[in-house]
Amino acid sequence: MAHLLTPGPAAMAQHMIRMRLALMRNSLRGDDATNLYAGVSFGLLLALGTITVAVLWPAYLPLALAVWLSGWIFGPILIGGGNEALRPEYFSMLPAKPGRIAAALLAGAFAGPVPAVNLIALLSLPVYGWRFGPAGVLVGLVAAVTTLVTMVMISRVVVALIGLFVRSRATAAAVGIVTGTAIALCSNGWAPVVAMGVTDTDAWSEVFVRVLPSGWGVAAIEASWPFAIAILVANAGVIALLLAAWAVLLSRRVVSAARGGVPPRRGTPRPFPATGGARAVAAKELRAWWRDLVRIQLLATAFSYAIVTPLLLITIDVWVMVPFAGLIAIVMAAASSANLYGADGTALWLTLMTPGAERADVRGRQLAWLLIVGPAAVALSLAGTLISGETWAWPWVLGLLPALLGGGAGIIVLLAVTSLVPGTDPHKRGGNPLSTGADETAETSLAWLVLCAVPATALPAAGAILLNPWAGVATGVLTGALSAWGLGRIAYRRLENHGIDLLNLMKHGPAPQADKPTTADLPIQHRIGVMICYTIGWLPLFPQGLVPMVMKIFGIDNPVWFLALHLPPIWQWPVIIFMIALGLLMYGYAILIPMRLSSSSSATSG
Amino acid sequence: MPTHQEPALRTAGLRKVFGDHVAVDDIDLTVPAGSFYGLVGPNGAGKTTTLAMAVGLLRPDAGSAEIFGVDVWRDTVQAKALIGVLPDGNAMPERLTGREALTYLGLLRGLPPAVVAERTDELLQVLELDSAERTLIIEYSTGMRKKIGLAVALLHAPRLLVLDEPFEAVDPISAATIRTILRRFAGNGGSVIISSHVMALVEQICDHVGVISDGRVVAAGPLADVRGAATLEDAFVGLVGARTGGTEGLAWLTS
Repeated sequence: MAHLLTPGPAAMAQHMIRMRLALMRNSLRGDDATNLYAGVSFGLLLALGTITVAVLWPAYLPLALAVWLSGWIFGPILIGGGNEALRPEYFSMLPAKPGRIAAALLAGAFAGPVPAVNLIALLSLPVYGWRFGPAGVLVGLVAAVTTLVTMVMISRVVVALIGLFVRSRATAAAVGIVTGTAIALCSNGWAPVVAMGVTDTDAWSEVFVRVLPSGWGVAAIEASWPFAIAILVANAGVIALLLAAWAVLLSRRVVSAARGGVPPRRGTPRPFPATGGARAVAAKELRAWWRDLVRIQLLATAFSYAIVTPLLLITIDVWVMVPFAGLIAIVMAAASSANLYGADGTALWLTLMTPGAERADVRGRQLAWLLIVGPAAVALSLAGTLISGETWAWPWVLGLLPALLGGGAGIIVLLAVTSLVPGTDPHKRGGNPLSTGADETAETSLAWLVLCAVPATALPAAGAILLNPWAGVATGVLTGALSAWGLGRIAYRRLENHGIDLLNLMKHGPAPQADKPTTADLPIQHRIGVMICYTIGWLPLFPQGLVPMVMKIFGIDNPVWFLALHLPPIWQWPVIIFMIALGLLMYGYAILIPMRLSSSSSATSG
Repeated sequence: MPTHQEPALRTAGLRKVFGDHVAVDDIDLTVPAGSFYGLVGPNGAGKTTTLAMAVGLLRPDAGSAEIFGVDVWRDTVQAKALIGVLPDGNAMPERLTGREALTYLGLLRGLPPAVVAERTDELLQVLELDSAERTLIIEYSTGMRKKIGLAVALLHAPRLLVLDEPFEAVDPISAATIRTILRRFAGNGGSVIISSHVMALVEQICDHVGVISDGRVVAAGPLADVRGAATLEDAFVGLVGARTGGTEGLAWLTS
C-alpha cells in the first residue's frame, strides 16, 4: 500500500526545479511581475558592468566579484531571510535523506532569475581568462560555474543559520549589529582604508580579494595549470562541505520547534500598568518591542549604524560626525519603525473593535517609540558632543535632537497608517524569525521615505540655529512637539476613518481594482529607473558629494576615489555640487514619480 | 520489515520542554494497527507536540517513537514512507494551486506521473477543491487549507494517517466527506490517528482513545474501556480533573 521508493537524485532535482518554476510563474501576476522584470533588468545592467570591468579594468575584477558575493551574504539578512520560494518545511515529510533533499532544494534554488543573472556576471571570468589564452578561457568557464554554486551555497547557509539560531534577543541583536555595521562600511568604509594608507595596488589588498570565495576563479585563471586545477578541485570540496553543512542545518530546522521568533521568558511577569488609554497602549507596545525579534534586530541595526559611522570617520581624525551619532540613530530608528501597523498584522482588529481606541493606539505607539529611542539617542548625543570636544556642535545637537525626536514620532505613525506594507501575521512567520513576510521593495521604499521626511521636519530648527543658536533650540523643541502632536493627530484621524481598509489590506492584500493604477502600472522604464535611483542614488549624494565636500572644508588632501578631488581645484566645487544635485535628483525622481501616480489615481477614483 | 502485528504507532517516554514549561511529560501511547484512534485533551495539553514528535516533525528531548516497528528518529526515511501527516498550522507552498502542490509533492515522493495525475484528480474532486482550480493556496480559506493538507497526506496511500485537528474550521458537508474517506481508509486496513476537542465526534468515529492532560496520558485504550458507562465527555471531564465552570461569578453580565 505504501510507496517506499523515493526518486533518484536527478529526478528529485528535476521535480524541484519544475516546482520552483511553477511557483515563479504563479507569482508573475501584477506587481510581482513588474518587480521581477525591473529587478532582472537592473541585475543584467550590473552583470554587463562586471563584464566591462573584466575588459577595461581587469585589476578590479576580483573586487567587483567580491561585491556580488557580499550581495549573496547580506542580501538575505537585509531583506529578512531571503526569498525562500521552496521552504524546507514543505518537504519535511518526504521519505528521503536530508542530504538528498538539500541537494534537490539546491537545484531548485538555481531555477530562478538571480542565479542566472549572476552567471552572466561571472562570464567575466572567461572574458578575463582570454588574456591568458585558451586555457584561461577554459579555466574561467569552469570557475564561473563553481563560483556561482559557491556563492549560492554560502547564501543558503547564511539563511539557514539565521533561521536556526536567531531565536533569542542576543542573536537577533547580533544580526542587527552586523547589518548596521555592514551598511556603515558600505557608505563610509573608505575612511579606515584611507587611514591605513592603502592604495589599489597594495599587495595585501590584491591577495585579500582573491582569498575570498569570489576571487578563487581569478586566482585559478592566473595560476599555472596544476595550481589552477588544484584551486578548482578545492572549490568543489568547499561546495561539498557547504552542502553537507546545509543539509544538517535544514534537517535541524525542520524538526526544531519554530517558536515564531519568541524569545523564552523567565522570571515573574511584569506588573500591568494601572492606567488606561495611550499609556496602556504604550505599555503593550514596550512589551512588543522587547519581545519581537524583528523589532529588536531593526533597532540594533539603527543604533549600530549610528555608532559605527562616526567611529569609521575617527580613523581619519574627522570628529565632526561624533556629536551627531544620536541624531543619526533617531532617523535610522524611525526608518526601521515605519511599518508599525504592518508589523503587528491583523491584530489591528482589536483596536478597531474598541470604540475610540484609535487615538490611544496612535498616541501610545508614539510614546513607546519615544521611550525606546529617546533616552539612548539623548545619551549618545550628549556623550558624543562631550567626547568629541566639538563645542560648536552644541546648539545643533540640542536644537535638532527634540526636533528629530518629535518629527520621528510623528512621521512613523503617519506613514504607518498611510503607507502600510502588509506582511505575514506574526504568528504565521515560519522558519525565519527575522522575516516579516512583507514585500521588501515596498518596505525599503517606505524606509527611504522616512529617511527623507524625518530630517525635513527638523529643517525649521536648522534654519533657526543658523540665525541664532539658542533660538534654534527653542524652535527645535517647538517643532518637535508640533510634529509629534499634529502628525499623530492626522494619523489617528485616518485610522478612525480608514482603519477597516488597513485591516482588509493586511488580511487580503491590496485589492485588485481594475480602474485604480498601482505602482506596478508605472511604465517599465520608469520602474527600472526608480529602482536604479533608489539603489545607487546614495553614490553621488554621499561618497561623491557630501563626503568630498566635508573633506574640502576640513582641508583633507587625500583624493582616494572621490572624483572631485582628483580634478583641478577650479572644477572641484562645481563637481561636488553637481554630484549632490544628481543624488538629490535621483531620490526626488524615485520618490515623486510613484507619488504622482498614486495622487493622480486618487484624484480620478475619489 | 514492518508487519501488521506491530502497532501502527508506539511512543515510549516522549518528553519535550519549552523553556521551563514541560509540554509533553513522558508519554507512552500504543495505537494498534487498523485502529481509528482519537487523541483528546484540553487546550495546551500537548496533543500537537506529541503528534509532531511521533511523526518526526519535532525532535523530542527524550523518548522514542515507532511506526509499524520502524523507529521514527533512527530510520526516518522508512518511517516517513509509511505515514501521511496533516500537521497543525501546516506550511504549504502558498503560491501553487492545489493541483500543482499535489502534483509536485507526489512526484517528489517518487510516484509515477500518471498515478500522481490520476490521484490528484480524484482527491481534488472528492474533497471539492476542483472548483478552485485557479486559486493559489495562499487564497484558500482555513477549511480549504485543511482539505488540501489532507489531500497531501492521502496522496501516497500511507498505512498510517496522523491528522492534527482535521475537522477544525471545516464545513459540515466537507466534514462528513472527510469522515467517510477516513472510515473507508480504516475499513480497508489503514490506521488513523486524529486529535480533536470534539468529544461527540471522537465518540462517533474512533474505536480507541487516548486522553492527554498537562503533557501526560491520563487514560488510553479501547473507547468502551475509557468512557465506561458514561459519555466520553463526562469521562473526559472526570479524567482531566476539571469541573466545568461558568456558573459562578460574572454576575455583572446578566445585570
